[in-house]
Amino acid sequence: MSSCVLDEETFCRCCQLFLEHSHSLCDGWSWQLVKGSEEGYLRKVALGNVRIRTSSNPNQITDQYIQGASSDQRQGRTSPFTPHKENDDDHNDEQYYDDDDGAVCCMQDSRSSGVIQYEYHILYSYSYQTPVLYFRASTLEGRSLSLEEVWDGVHPNYRQRLQHGPWDTITQQEHPLLGQSFFVLHPCRTEEFMRPVLQAALEEHRQVNYVVTWLSVVGPVVGLDVPLSYCTKVPAPSHTSPSPLQPPALQTQPD
Amino acid sequence: MADDKDVLRDVWFGRIPTCFTLYQDEVTEREAEPFYLLLPRVSYLTLVTDKVKKHFLKVMKAEDVEEIWFEYEGTPLKWHYPIGLLFDLHASNTSLPWSITVHFKNFPERDLLHCPCNSVIEAHFMSSIKEADALKHKSQVINDMQKKDHKQLWMGLQNDKFDQFWAINRKLMEYPTEEGGFRYIPFRIYLTMSDRPFIQKLFRPISPDGHTHTLGDLLKEVYPVAIASDDEAKRYQVVIHGIEPLLETPLQWLSEHLSHPDNFLHISVIPAPSD
Repeated sequence: MSSCVLDEETFCRCCQLFLEHSHSLCDGWSWQLVKGSEEGYLRKVALGNVRIRTSSNPNQITDQYIQGASSDQRQGRTSPFTPHKENDDDHNDEQYYDDDDGAVCCMQDSRSSGVIQYEYHILYSYSYQTPVLYFRASTLEGRSLSLEEVWDGVHPNYRQRLQHGPWDTITQQEHPLLGQSFFVLHPCRTEEFMRPVLQAALEEHRQVNYVVTWLSVVGPVVGLDVPLSYCTKVPAPSHTSPSPLQPPALQTQPD
Repeated sequence: MADDKDVLRDVWFGRIPTCFTLYQDEVTEREAEPFYLLLPRVSYLTLVTDKVKKHFLKVMKAEDVEEIWFEYEGTPLKWHYPIGLLFDLHASNTSLPWSITVHFKNFPERDLLHCPCNSVIEAHFMSSIKEADALKHKSQVINDMQKKDHKQLWMGLQNDKFDQFWAINRKLMEYPTEEGGFRYIPFRIYLTMSDRPFIQKLFRPISPDGHTHTLGDLLKEVYPVAIASDDEAKRYQVVIHGIEPLLETPLQWLSEHLSHPDNFLHISVIPAPSD
């Protein structure tokens, strides 16, 4: 059972390896240091298009999710929500989008389409000894998205599971290092879904990068794109080589 | 010497006399009188201020009213912090009553969490209790409880029912005798002079060689700035529930007796008054 627990030092080492791969992909992650301490966290800012609910029309059935695209990313993948400006008709519009994964999204009723800025932070939780994902979203004009609007962006497949229990969910919380309002995917169930993965790896004598594995599960729930190469290319931290808590490779990036 | 159980009651029934004044720029139909209320230290602002809200809504038009929020001397007050913590942190050495300004517009989105209804407060409260138990008992005690027990903790707080609350909470304060204490102590040290809201780390109540850790030991390890060296004047006060416990106090005892209902020790480090 102790193999499911992530200590802070291993968290930092996992982040360092994660960061190296992010740099090679220009995936936009950086390490932020907390002023006056050795603690830090991973941060990424991404832009995405999403239709924001403007009319209150509960009878409209919608299927929409946030497709975040890193501002640096050049992978030729376009957001399915880029509006077709030529024949954009906001009145009883039915538009179907097909993306590479075969998901079909149908949107009805008038919505304003806007570019949303997402900010993702990966912190270490002492209480649960796991990583935790904090995020916030705002329009480019600086208006913060509400919890309802964030929920709108969660893929329907995840929405039901998330609403199952009060602790398996997205809530608004205070960022423990910055003191500002963020949304959080509650960490108390992390061990539950990580345990089978870690045990399987143990049995197959494979090493796992906890942060990569964890993020590949929780990231997509909130529209955070985690390219497959993270899972294949990022190694697990070596347990034999000693590593300082603050590896020199983790440089602070200017905002 | 007071019985330890009396301490639990003193903590629960602590009150702060407060004067609520409507922000001067709010649009009113007639002048709003200030509203006085005794606030429970262990509760949350948005849980206990229904009367305050109703009082000010009487002089306002519905279209001028958005989500209520509170501010003290320009600082938005975080409703998700216990009231006693907010007072100790911001207004400790000022004269009573505590003067809080009430707003109904321009909600500070970045700084404050939204609180649209009581179930948000309940979720936050239960989340803290769960986190505390993760630290104390690897979540075993809280997970073994039934849903109705969880509900009883919340109802006890909401309705100010000490016995109802502690009937369940006492289980969260138990530990295997051979361990000598909890696995880790749930605490947060709040700083006024920093961007960072609080410090929270893993800290055991008993050292590996059986040594009982004190409040002083915790501070030395996690926030040594708070403790003055022998030859210099005391720069900071370490406050819990409005008092300065002796640094020699065992941390395990503090956790069992001076925690808030959310099972956390909320410790304020504030500048010592310079008289």
